[in-house]
Amino acid sequence: MTELDTRAVDAPAPPRRAAATLRNMPRNPYLQYALFGAALCVLPLLASAGVLKASTLSTLAFVLIFSIAAMGLNLLLGYAGLISLGTAGFMGLGAYLAAYVQDDIGLGFWVALLAALVIPTFLGIIVGIVSLRVRSIYLAIASLFVSEILLKTFEQVEWFTGGTAGKQSAYPVIFGIQTTRGSMFVVCAVALALVMMLTHNVVHGQMGRALHAMRSSEVAAKAMGVNVLKYKLVAFSVATAYAGLAGALYLFFLKSSYPSTWGLFLSLNVIAMVVVGGLRSIFGTVAGAFVIFAVPELVLKKLPVIGDISGVPYIFSGVLIVLVIMFFPHGLKGLVDLVVGPIRRARSNKEVTGA
Amino acid sequence: MDEVLQPFLRSLETGSVYALAALGIIVVWRTSLVMHFAQGSMGMFAGTAVAFAVNRFGQPLWVSVLVGVAVAVLMGFLVDFAVIRRLRRATAVGKEIITLGLIMVFLGLAPIVFGTEPMLMPKAIPSGDIGLGTASISYNSVLNIGLSVAIAVALFVVLQKTKIGLAVRATASSEPTARLMGINTRRVTLLAWALAGVLGMLAAVMIAPATTVTPTFMNTVQVTALFACVLGGLQTFYGPVVGGYVIAVVGNFLKLYVSSVWGDQLLYLLILVFLVFRPNGLFGKTYMQKV
Repeated sequence: MTELDTRAVDAPAPPRRAAATLRNMPRNPYLQYALFGAALCVLPLLASAGVLKASTLSTLAFVLIFSIAAMGLNLLLGYAGLISLGTAGFMGLGAYLAAYVQDDIGLGFWVALLAALVIPTFLGIIVGIVSLRVRSIYLAIASLFVSEILLKTFEQVEWFTGGTAGKQSAYPVIFGIQTTRGSMFVVCAVALALVMMLTHNVVHGQMGRALHAMRSSEVAAKAMGVNVLKYKLVAFSVATAYAGLAGALYLFFLKSSYPSTWGLFLSLNVIAMVVVGGLRSIFGTVAGAFVIFAVPELVLKKLPVIGDISGVPYIFSGVLIVLVIMFFPHGLKGLVDLVVGPIRRARSNKEVTGA
Repeated sequence: MDEVLQPFLRSLETGSVYALAALGIIVVWRTSLVMHFAQGSMGMFAGTAVAFAVNRFGQPLWVSVLVGVAVAVLMGFLVDFAVIRRLRRATAVGKEIITLGLIMVFLGLAPIVFGTEPMLMPKAIPSGDIGLGTASISYNSVLNIGLSVAIAVALFVVLQKTKIGLAVRATASSEPTARLMGINTRRVTLLAWALAGVLGMLAAVMIAPATTVTPTFMNTVQVTALFACVLGGLQTFYGPVVGGYVIAVVGNFLKLYVSSVWGDQLLYLLILVFLVFRPNGLFGKTYMQKV
């Protein structure tokens, strides 16, 4: 804090200040997210140029999609300290709603997206109201309840989900343009960048402060006039909205959905993404999604002996969760801070003394 | 008559399985204040070890169950000793996430250790029924129900009458206070995790003859046992046991008389609605939180 102040005072010459702003530009979080999204949009070009395998592009698209769901859970787990075991159920609901609205009713991409956002969120709010009044752990179990109900429904309501045979869909038409695999990837990248910005906004606003206060002591926060129930509920509904969005994007990218996808294991994997990436870290969540989803797909399955064993991705996620909680409570983000922190500090010290 | 009695008797057996699994969860919850999500997976692992001993080594069931007890106790010790105990400073949420991670570890480990081929579990008593009016119940079911009721009762007696039970209850009501009073709370939690493992293993051995032993065969039990804990309330040891039986009986009748397709969903919804009116479950007391 003091470093910043001295820099502001010690930089009288306008050109130097302009240079400083330029140097600080990438530190503007919104610009970072936008640049990140833009960089991702290059990947489909690489794929069509043959540099990147099409299957790798698909894997990366799922990383982006799961990042969105994990971002919501990070808000819930990292800030509100609540566990949800229903992420997969809400994602599945989003996916089937998107397919139903787009393909069966024929209302197009935007209405389908809206349905996949609104209905899971509404359901999430009801679950939250029921469970959060008691104690925090009830949310985990209540969301598991709902996820189980949804999973059984996905298997049995064939007019809506196609049952165990699965639901087929098609690439959507957005703004009159028929999308392809490449352009759907861009849609996912844009959605992720927007979700990152929105999440940044949420956690740096009044709600973020309230959630911070709640995390250290719920009762103390309550005494300070924070409406604990309200903020927990908002955090959970944001998480379900992201899950619904992720589910819709999953469907639009894969063009199909099967009930077996939306089981407890997916919810656990999303938790692993959040924990491994680092609680309360936006870029960390994306990195966590990459480690948990893409590393088993791209690396572990290709290894000679280990790749043939079916249980390895499970063990990989599970052991990572245990190890990260035990030894690196801040996840990948903490690891990066450990390396980058001293460098950044040294650099800013030099700037101050240089001026 | 047998329209009611027969399904009731059958649900008592599944209820026993849920009750045992729920008992394991509540023992850990009361002593460590951690929701033990991996209870079913650890039971699955030890239960698969039992099936492995029966199928691959041709051991009789009772020897295999002893092997299972050893595996379960070892797993419980290992998890508490190597992981949970090192997390003194982590929050309850952190520990719960660890148990979620353990689900995946055991799920992935089981096919590697015991092979991918699904195995069959023999019944303790292969055949024979007892007639009860127009209904009937197999000797094996009677054994299972009797065993789980006996275990639950024995556990309550130990909890209420013995010195170890007193230590467990003291730890349950306040871990720091219990430690200050000279109770070795580490030993209590170690015991709790091992006990949870054994109870999970027994639940697995009881449910396994009705299905095949695969890494996912305990999923329903795992989920239902958690629901039983919530339904019964987390403040007593007997609440979850009763919850397990209630879920089995009500679930079975809903499936039979209301809808075979929607029975489970309806049951879960009913429990959720019940929690709106009695948030602390059947036997729960209001829980006070202090700064």
